[in-house]
Amino acid sequence: MADESQEITLLETLDHLLDRGVVIAGEATISIGDVDLLYLGLNIVLANIDAVARSSQK
Amino acid sequence: MKWVVIGAHLKREDVEPIANVIPIGDLFLSAVPIDDDRPLGDRDLLMQVADVRAKLLDRATFVAIRYGFAVRDAAEATSKCGGLTTRWRALIEAHRDEVEMTLKIAAAAPTARPNRHDFSSGAEYMRALHASAHTADVDPSFRDGVERALVPLTTQHRWMHRDRSSMELAMLVRRRDLEKILDAGEKLRKEFAAVPFLLSGPWPLEVFADDHQQ
Amino acid sequence: MIISNEEERLRQSLTFAEPSIPQRISADPEVVENGLAKLVLSIIELVRRLLEKQALRRMDAGNLTDQEVERLGASLMKLEEKMEELKGVFGLTDDDLNLKLGPVRSLE
Repeated sequence: MADESQEITLLETLDHLLDRGVVIAGEATISIGDVDLLYLGLNIVLANIDAVARSSQK
Repeated sequence: MKWVVIGAHLKREDVEPIANVIPIGDLFLSAVPIDDDRPLGDRDLLMQVADVRAKLLDRATFVAIRYGFAVRDAAEATSKCGGLTTRWRALIEAHRDEVEMTLKIAAAAPTARPNRHDFSSGAEYMRALHASAHTADVDPSFRDGVERALVPLTTQHRWMHRDRSSMELAMLVRRRDLEKILDAGEKLRKEFAAVPFLLSGPWPLEVFADDHQQ
Repeated sequence: MIISNEEERLRQSLTFAEPSIPQRISADPEVVENGLAKLVLSIIELVRRLLEKQALRRMDAGNLTDQEVERLGASLMKLEEKMEELKGVFGLTDDDLNLKLGPVRSLE
């Protein structure tokens, strides 16, 4: 039981960190036509891909 | 070396020595330094930032900036956020004494997702997706219970539908009322033992700081 | 501070943002290459879901023109179609694209 609570706490904390707050315009902005859809999750994923690509070149 | 930005604060002493300060206009960004090649998705880094965020909130209320925004220096920070400082200052000053709380309620069963093959126009599909996202399947007596027990303790509140399987209530609460909210939450937990819900906080200004989160 | 009921059901029902963090990706070149198609497609799927989520938020705000709503819906439909094609090409199923992300969460 305690484990589940801890896990929920962790997930909730990360949710607030990753999915809320002000998005700074121009940071990972994706648009469909003229409608700006902003999110930042992709930044994190792309940064990770980059790290893998660089380390696999060594 | 780059700086992962956490939030926008009114005073330098709201940030130091918990985090580093990047001044922008007459406000102060909080930030933590990381190596250039450190991925932002590093779990340890996320936990570190989450921890710093919580400590900063203990000090004073601030505008939360979504994780992932990183800058090299004050010049870059100013060029990207300079235009927002007036709005941020107004927000922090208006809610200096408040924090955000969040209530998430899981639906009993998620509504069915529309099948795109059933639709001939983008607009019809979009509207169907939107309608299905508004799940009606959240226990209405629980929702009433929340309106009675929690909402009166808030200065502002906003019900939101984030997806097909849950609903959410974002609340602004005065710091001195935090205990009462938590007590009310405990009572709700006992009264509605079978309803899956999550009351969390305190948080910095997140929903109430971002227009796009309407 | 968290007060919660029915944690098991919460974990299953609530959509947490944590899945947007990929698991520790192996740097072994062979593993990287084999896993690349799956990874790339998983990311496209992630993008599609995030775009859909954001589109729904804009619908909530209610300030879109009819033309914009049409554009959003048509683009999401197109994305779903493309995803299906790509999955077919690489012989991947929805399950294959369910990255085990973090302690318990997968993409859905």
